Amino acid sequence: MVDRLSCDEWHAVAGRELLGRGDASRRPDGRLFVSIDAWQGAVFDQLAAAMLADLPAPVHTVVDEADQDELAAWQRCGFTVARRESGYLVPTDPQRTGLGTVRPPAGVTVLPAGAAQEVPLTELVHAVRAEVEAAAGWHTMPAEILPSLTGYPVVDPARYAVARQGEAYLGLLRLGGPPGRNQPRIGLLAVRADQHRRGIARALLAQVLGEQHRGGRDSVWAEVDQANPAAVALFEGIGARRAATTLELVRG
Amino acid sequence: MTKTAGGIEVEGTVTECLRNATFKVELQNGHTVLAHISGKIRKNYIKILPFDRVLVEVSPYDLTRGRIRFRYRN
Repeated sequence: MVDRLSCDEWHAVAGRELLGRGDASRRPDGRLFVSIDAWQGAVFDQLAAAMLADLPAPVHTVVDEADQDELAAWQRCGFTVARRESGYLVPTDPQRTGLGTVRPPAGVTVLPAGAAQEVPLTELVHAVRAEVEAAAGWHTMPAEILPSLTGYPVVDPARYAVARQGEAYLGLLRLGGPPGRNQPRIGLLAVRADQHRRGIARALLAQVLGEQHRGGRDSVWAEVDQANPAAVALFEGIGARRAATTLELVRG
Repeated sequence: MTKTAGGIEVEGTVTECLRNATFKVELQNGHTVLAHISGKIRKNYIKILPFDRVLVEVSPYDLTRGRIRFRYRN
């Protein structure tokens, strides 16, 4: 029997025994994501049926591409693959990335993390957000693009390296990671649409990865949408190794 | 060690990330289990790495298998 404990939690129970759990939550972009943990496929199916009956469509979930059992379970429930996103281990050693001799394009300088001014950086973040929303859409991006309560992301200059030409900010790379973790994560790498194909992203990577290498870290983590061939080529071109692939599934 | 309705929860340390979306976790009692991550952890994009301290729910059907339910801040 499946019980709905709250608006976002379901339990499959047999007598007093808990057989599985289901959970639902909304991302900041409004999309509804669910997860189910059950040791048996039949219990998974019962939880899924109850949750899908309770929740408004569309419903999303994420699975590891290598977890074929879980992928099959969701597909049994009518979910289809909407997006593939790979996690990459990105080397920092210039000997491996080939970025040691990379310089910014003429007239462009790369400001290290903490050197950018907050106001123009915030304007750049807003501009990039608007450009992405008008093109691919933020729903295609990882979950950690979190808007603040004002509807805009919180911009901390200490986390951003910025490409600047004159007074104009052209591109940014945000590096962060959970406290205490020794492997930083590239949270966002973006260049203004009218500045693409100038080598600005490579220059940002050269700066940031070089700093990490000098700081004793041999790799950073990055997630790349496999439907973005330019991003895939950029990271694989500097020796990044695909470590895992996450599938985003949707049921309309 | 905590007995839960869904199995037994034990703290452990991730010793290896395997290629098939599973992890080797050495439990406090010295046993090693193969664990995958819970849907809730995956849904929240929480990344598991070697040396992470985690809470594992051991399968009631196979004591060599488990599910990582929580990653502690190191």
